[in-house]
Amino acid sequence: MIETEALTKRYGGHRGIEDVTFSVRPGEVFGFLGPNGAGKTTTIRTLLDLIHPTAGSARLFGLDSRRDSVAIRARLGNLPGDFGFGRETPGREALQLLARVRGVDGTARAEELAARFRADLDRPLGQLSRGNRQKIGLILATFHRPELLILDEPTGGLDPLMQEEFLALVAEERDRGCAVFLSSHELDEVQRVCDRVGIVRGGRLIAVERMADLLGKARRRFTVELADPDGAERLRSLPGVEDLAADGSRVSFSAGGDLDAVVRELAGHHVVDLEATHPSLEEVFLGYYDEGEEER
Amino acid sequence: MSRQLGALAAAHLHDRRRSVWAWGIPLGLMSAFIVAIFPSVETSISKAVQGYPQGLKEAFGIGELSNVEQYLHAEMLSLIVPLALGYLAVRAVASGLTGAAETGRLDVVLSAPVSRTRLVAAGFLATAAELALVLLVTGILTALGSLLSGAGLAAGPAVEGFANVWPLALLFAGLGIVAAGFSLRTSVVTGSVAGVLVAMYVLDLVGRLDPDLSGVRYLSVFKYYGNAIEEGIDPLAFAGVTTAACLLAALGAWLFERRDLAA
Repeated sequence: MIETEALTKRYGGHRGIEDVTFSVRPGEVFGFLGPNGAGKTTTIRTLLDLIHPTAGSARLFGLDSRRDSVAIRARLGNLPGDFGFGRETPGREALQLLARVRGVDGTARAEELAARFRADLDRPLGQLSRGNRQKIGLILATFHRPELLILDEPTGGLDPLMQEEFLALVAEERDRGCAVFLSSHELDEVQRVCDRVGIVRGGRLIAVERMADLLGKARRRFTVELADPDGAERLRSLPGVEDLAADGSRVSFSAGGDLDAVVRELAGHHVVDLEATHPSLEEVFLGYYDEGEEER
Repeated sequence: MSRQLGALAAAHLHDRRRSVWAWGIPLGLMSAFIVAIFPSVETSISKAVQGYPQGLKEAFGIGELSNVEQYLHAEMLSLIVPLALGYLAVRAVASGLTGAAETGRLDVVLSAPVSRTRLVAAGFLATAAELALVLLVTGILTALGSLLSGAGLAAGPAVEGFANVWPLALLFAGLGIVAAGFSLRTSVVTGSVAGVLVAMYVLDLVGRLDPDLSGVRYLSVFKYYGNAIEEGIDPLAFAGVTTAACLLAALGAWLFERRDLAA
């Protein structure tokens, strides 16, 4: 669906993206994870031919992103990071225009989606909150049943219920064979829906991993309250356990890799309370940097 | 293909619908007022004009102001209407390009199978239609002013006078598209083209005032504008300026196709 080869974009002396190479397969949800300013949006705009690469190439559906841009865009849906269409335009007007230029007869699917997301298609976009505008953008990106969905920070402003609904929609799109390219800086969001993830930082793609592998590498923080305070010392000796601190019956530590030994050890105790915290995006990145340092 | 172009142009025109009234009504009311007061000021104006320096009369295209058509040309069609419509043209065309980039609309439309050239063409066509509608509203109100005051404005010459503004204004729409090929900021595009509009008017004025500098008039589209309400539309100038506007739009589309649409 998407193949990039050493895709590079520089703005004069400023960095955009550098040597970005990855591929997205049909029916796959590919997360593009990185902090703000990492180059996620630049990559997306290059794929859409809104900006032209300085070097390298991108192919979508086997077509060249520059030469065949119009044919490519006929087959995809795109939700920009901060969706807008003019303050006075109601969503329905935008929808009707896009249906006409896409040659789509009828907007029944869009009406279905509007009902599902409780989106108001009749109010001017300028009167809607960011989250409600984002819902309209999502409808415009998906109503024509594209083969590829490109979503740039799609859940910004959505309330938790709508985020759930959005993740369900992404899963449905994948199930019908649509590939999804999802850019985000939220690890939780990417983790819940993506099959693979590319990690981008400073304009460079530093890793492409299966989601399970990424989480396996990331260290999680555990806080456990044990009925038996002596259990803490045995946890300290387990492989992968670090930064263990005990405060009476309350023990906190970080663990990475295979958690089987930790779970087995805890199973031998009376666990009063257990809290596991996912690593932040920065902690995931630090994991990669530490790994890189060790390899050197 | 033509369906897509039509849809984009119609949407652009729909977005700009208020501008037809916002520009057409004030210009029309002003023209109607000028026409309506002519019978009461005719004598004094003629005397005043006789006292004007010859150079000044030539510079502003003021001949005899012995009829309402001459008065309408001197007061509205030689300066206010062409400058206003030229500025409106660049604003209109910029709204579909730089304005759309600023609101995020451009990203959404260009996520659909729409080429940038077609988007530019649609904006240019919609602007051409908007200018024609503004001139129509202005012309109708002017005719009403004449009718109500009994000024006796001749319909044919008046239509030619207002219609002659259209290609001139359209040329600035073409220049606006060229400017959008270099900058996606509406203030830069409208500001720079408005500057060119005023500079062209001044060049034409200078060329008329000083025969030694008459050559500079070739740099100004106002040289080809003439006085259609009295002399009729010059078909060659009308077609030539319209063609130049289309060529500028084509050049702008070529530039726009090649530029980055940065976030």
